Amino acid sequence: MSQSSSLTSSPVPKGKPSHNLASFMSDYGIVIAFIVLCVVLSVVSPYFLGVNNLLNVLRQVSINGVLAIGMTFVILTRGIDLSVGSVMAFSAMVAASFAGASADYGLILPILLGLGAGLVLGSINGLMVARFAIPPFVMTLGMLSMARGLTYIYSDGMPISSLSSHFLWLGQGMVAGIPVPVLLFATVFIIAWFTLRYTAFGRYVYAIGGNPTASRLSGINVRRITFSVYAISGILCGLAGLMIAARTSAALPQAGVAYELDAIAAVVIGGTSLAGGKGRIIGTLFGVLIIGVINNGLDLLGVSSFYQQLVKGAIIVIAVMLDRSRLTNA
Amino acid sequence: MNKLLAGLAISTLTAVTTTSSLAADPIRIGAATYGLQGEFMQLWSNALKDHPAVKSGDVEITVFDGRYDALVQSSQFDSMITRQYDAILFVPIDANACVGPVIQATTAGIPVVGSNTRCNTDQLAAFVGSDDVLAGQMVAEEVIDKVGDKGKVVIIEGPIGQSAQIDRAKGIDKVLAEHPDVKVLERRTANWSRAESLSLMENWLTAHRGEIDGVIAQNDEMAIGAIQAIQASGLSVDDISVAGVDGITDALKAVQKGQMATILQDATAQAQGALDVALAKLGKADELPQSDTWTRYPDLAWNNGASDTYNIPWTVVGNDNVESLLAQRQQ
Repeated sequence: MSQSSSLTSSPVPKGKPSHNLASFMSDYGIVIAFIVLCVVLSVVSPYFLGVNNLLNVLRQVSINGVLAIGMTFVILTRGIDLSVGSVMAFSAMVAASFAGASADYGLILPILLGLGAGLVLGSINGLMVARFAIPPFVMTLGMLSMARGLTYIYSDGMPISSLSSHFLWLGQGMVAGIPVPVLLFATVFIIAWFTLRYTAFGRYVYAIGGNPTASRLSGINVRRITFSVYAISGILCGLAGLMIAARTSAALPQAGVAYELDAIAAVVIGGTSLAGGKGRIIGTLFGVLIIGVINNGLDLLGVSSFYQQLVKGAIIVIAVMLDRSRLTNA
Repeated sequence: MNKLLAGLAISTLTAVTTTSSLAADPIRIGAATYGLQGEFMQLWSNALKDHPAVKSGDVEITVFDGRYDALVQSSQFDSMITRQYDAILFVPIDANACVGPVIQATTAGIPVVGSNTRCNTDQLAAFVGSDDVLAGQMVAEEVIDKVGDKGKVVIIEGPIGQSAQIDRAKGIDKVLAEHPDVKVLERRTANWSRAESLSLMENWLTAHRGEIDGVIAQNDEMAIGAIQAIQASGLSVDDISVAGVDGITDALKAVQKGQMATILQDATAQAQGALDVALAKLGKADELPQSDTWTRYPDLAWNNGASDTYNIPWTVVGNDNVESLLAQRQQ
């Protein structure tokens, strides 16, 4: 956060107690909201706080979590990536086609091909946005359709199942009592957090989202950074593709439809501004957890999924409302 | 869209040139599917292409991908009417949105034979499909037979409001009414999705630990998701009876492993039967019916293609027939 404020020329005002409260709320509001939600759910449902249930929640959010982390990088640069669900489905299909139980290529090749497929499509997004100035919304909307089409072409519309047991480990395995998808999500989160907080690249991501013109004038290679964030989102879609194919024991051509919405929702709930330059990856983590806990809690309580959608939508709007009030306060 | 149609037109033209040596004037039939993305519609369209009349070149089939959108299907009807197809086989995405296109085609003198999904109009030349209410009954009976009259079950539904969901739910409710002591612990949609059903079932297994005896799923994808959740939570599928509907390949494999039961919906019979009926309505084919649908289901009366509704029977897939069904899929 300190990097972003120093580069975006919007220093947080200090001194007045009301501002302190406002900035405290905007920094920790998401954490408080999450804790309140968890307390409420553990009171109304005796099952919520069980170790197994909490592991379930973490396993259920890990795929959206990985997508949302890539989305955070893109949104910080004022971009958007609408293609994550389709790119994920394509990567899953490519990886699964080399992970059959009968024609076994080992674990490394499907992983590399899955990540590679995501990286290639993400790089095309990045190239078109950074080099040819196609608006991110348009480019990734196009990719949403193209990647879905590629998925159907590649699979001929049929699911690929009967995957090898070591590939399935990526989605269903455990290491020291922790599900593998959760470990993958945690690893990606730590790398992303470190990158945004401690590297020059991370500072540039905030800078070009905050003020692209000033960034270019100060010598930042805006094109390269812009390209990179879409490539990062792509490779993370590849990882999410490996995870969902392994979790559901099949690569399904219709997988991941509308997943971009949950990923964007998590980023927005986490306080990252769609106007770019402001936000933190830890916010995205809590955004992902809040969506997961709401879904899980309402399932445990037996609430209809209609209400689930209503609640999720309302939380997105409220989160953006808080974000707005923070902008006007600052 | 235009490019797609152009592509279809070109492939149709090539089809005409290749078949013209065999038959002077092939019967042109358009097959409007709700979307080619699921396995079931793939099987359905492949079955059409394997119909004897198509193989002999007497009939030329053009398959349209409705892309799960009633509006797309409507514009595909427009172009089929413009290009004066002899007949249309129609699998609508929605039972009400389909009425307009059917009336348009019928008014233009093109008979429309419905297949798989019902359309709420009396303008269809005939309907060849399977009764989803019956499927709901069968899947519920399959589970309740195993869990007993006092068992506790959960129900996983399709997208609320879709005709298959409504009808399968009706069938399930009918059976539940006959077994008043069966307790329904939960009933929710997972939108036909394996991934969604997996998370839902994980959460239910937490909320009702050790209580769930059976899972009634309105389709196979969701039944498989439930099985994966049961296995992931360390429970055994031997303790929880799971059943689904459709008979997709993954479900047949799961039946083979003894993990679930499924009610097979016969895509081949629905597609080839509909084509037989369409040819009968046109009165153009000499020997009818040509497909083996009618010999495979002796109870299904052909009635010279004059009936309004042909209900293709559902088949319960068990140990006795799963091997042969899987062998058919491998082809």
